[in-house]
Amino acid sequence: MVNTQESATRKSGGFSSIFKVIPLVPFSLIFLFFFCWPIFQILKNSLDQGKGHYGLSAYRLMFTKPYMHAFATSLQLSFFSALTAGVIGAVIAFYVHRSSSGLKSTMAMLSGVLANSGGVPLAFMFIAAFGAQGGIVTLLKKVGIDIYSSGFTLYSLTGLILVYSFFQIPLMVLVFTPALEGMRNEWREANNSLGGSNLQFTRWVLIPVLFPAFLASILLLFASAFSAFATARALTGGSVGLVPLVIGSLIDGNVITDQANLGDALAVGMIFVSAVVMVFYGFSLRWARGR
Amino acid sequence: MKSRIFSATRYLILGLGLIFFIFPVAAAIEFSLRSYGNKGHTFANYSWIFQQEDFFTNITISLKLAVLSAVITLITVVPAVTFLHLEGQRYKRIFEFLAILPLVVPVVSLAIGAQKAMPTFIQNSQYELAFFYVIIAIPYTFQSLNVGLTSIPLKTLVEASRSLGASFGKTVTAVIVPAIRSAINAAIFLAVTLSFGEFTLTSLLHWETFPVWITRVSQGNVLGSIALSMFSLIGAWSLLILVQSLQNVQKQRRAKSQVEEIEEVLT
Repeated sequence: MVNTQESATRKSGGFSSIFKVIPLVPFSLIFLFFFCWPIFQILKNSLDQGKGHYGLSAYRLMFTKPYMHAFATSLQLSFFSALTAGVIGAVIAFYVHRSSSGLKSTMAMLSGVLANSGGVPLAFMFIAAFGAQGGIVTLLKKVGIDIYSSGFTLYSLTGLILVYSFFQIPLMVLVFTPALEGMRNEWREANNSLGGSNLQFTRWVLIPVLFPAFLASILLLFASAFSAFATARALTGGSVGLVPLVIGSLIDGNVITDQANLGDALAVGMIFVSAVVMVFYGFSLRWARGR
Repeated sequence: MKSRIFSATRYLILGLGLIFFIFPVAAAIEFSLRSYGNKGHTFANYSWIFQQEDFFTNITISLKLAVLSAVITLITVVPAVTFLHLEGQRYKRIFEFLAILPLVVPVVSLAIGAQKAMPTFIQNSQYELAFFYVIIAIPYTFQSLNVGLTSIPLKTLVEASRSLGASFGKTVTAVIVPAIRSAINAAIFLAVTLSFGEFTLTSLLHWETFPVWITRVSQGNVLGSIALSMFSLIGAWSLLILVQSLQNVQKQRRAKSQVEEIEEVLT
């Protein structure tokens, strides 16, 4: 067995070393040209002061009040939508996990399908349901609840969190379920036979064991909310100043600044935030696996 | 007693979840059947969709781009991942890392870079979109192929084929491709759904595809726009459900045949 493996390796070693990596070439080419090259251009452009000079003036503008406010709003939206959808999704995943396998596979399929909905149609669906003329709003009015009189509007941060939940809760169910699959039934049995209560089990076993995976899933939701663009633009039309929307209107030329490369600086800022989130995601994933 | 409380809570929670997902859909469908001036419910808004002359044009463009990005995925991502599993083990970690990166860069940022970096002859062709769709899809396509290939003893199969005297081409067409076909299908499916629904990059680069067209045509007709949205959402959901059930059937069949194989070996 060892011999055949060795001879096979030697046989393939007969090719010249350049010829050997040919299957990686097409991938590397499109990755370099359609991904690395544009990213490099944003970086370069964000530092470009014109006439061959480079400097940080675009970044200085980025750190002024209106743009910092946009970053704060984006972070707020990402945080609260990730937390809301994360907690609800985790609870649903927990109850589904302990159900029959039929329900489990149905829910897995539904989550996979719903987690993929998004974009403009989703925003329109919620306008039809929760807009001032929407079916749900009129239905609630009939039973005496007027959500719009209590200050709710769909075209706000709260509204966006509601709409994002529609794909983020299923996404949470999808990414958190594998962690639940790793739970051993014996742990609960051990807890019970040692006289531990359900509450104690939850506090001392369930939460500590699942926390890293929960954190990782939340960070993934955070990243997805942070870079979402289509739904937010269709729903708010720009009335909620999120960073992607600001960049969008800079590209479209709806907003004019003296700083032509402000959009590039904001784009780099977004990449930075998202990279930090992904680094933490990597750490919590490793933490979750280490257990 | 305890388990009864548990199952009661479970049904309560699942019920609430179901309400949260069904109500908006039902309300939006009801809305899409309304008519202007409150003249009862009709299908007029749906027939309006098909009367739009751009409807088929834009569906065709989106389909073309989806097919093209599937083809590009097939000739770039598939060979790369297969190679990493066969002989390129030492490059595996670095390519796995690279494949995550498009997830780190928000699509809005990629769009602004694409506008700056692409030469004009590429920017003038709508087919540039397909290449960017492939990039955006890489974290998913690469990962799904990567996971799919781990469960296949590809290296052993290739060694067997070579030691039986098969040529390189024969090994690819008769051994590798059939062995990884379902992993390829899953990756292609991901690439297609992602391309078909992509809006952010497409609209920021000022191209019109089906999702962008929906937004534009919606501006003049509120009821029509809701009908169009429900049409495309329900269309996408049905397609996803169909494909997932097909995959499940395939998986069960494969599991069964594996059991049969094991039984054969044992008897």
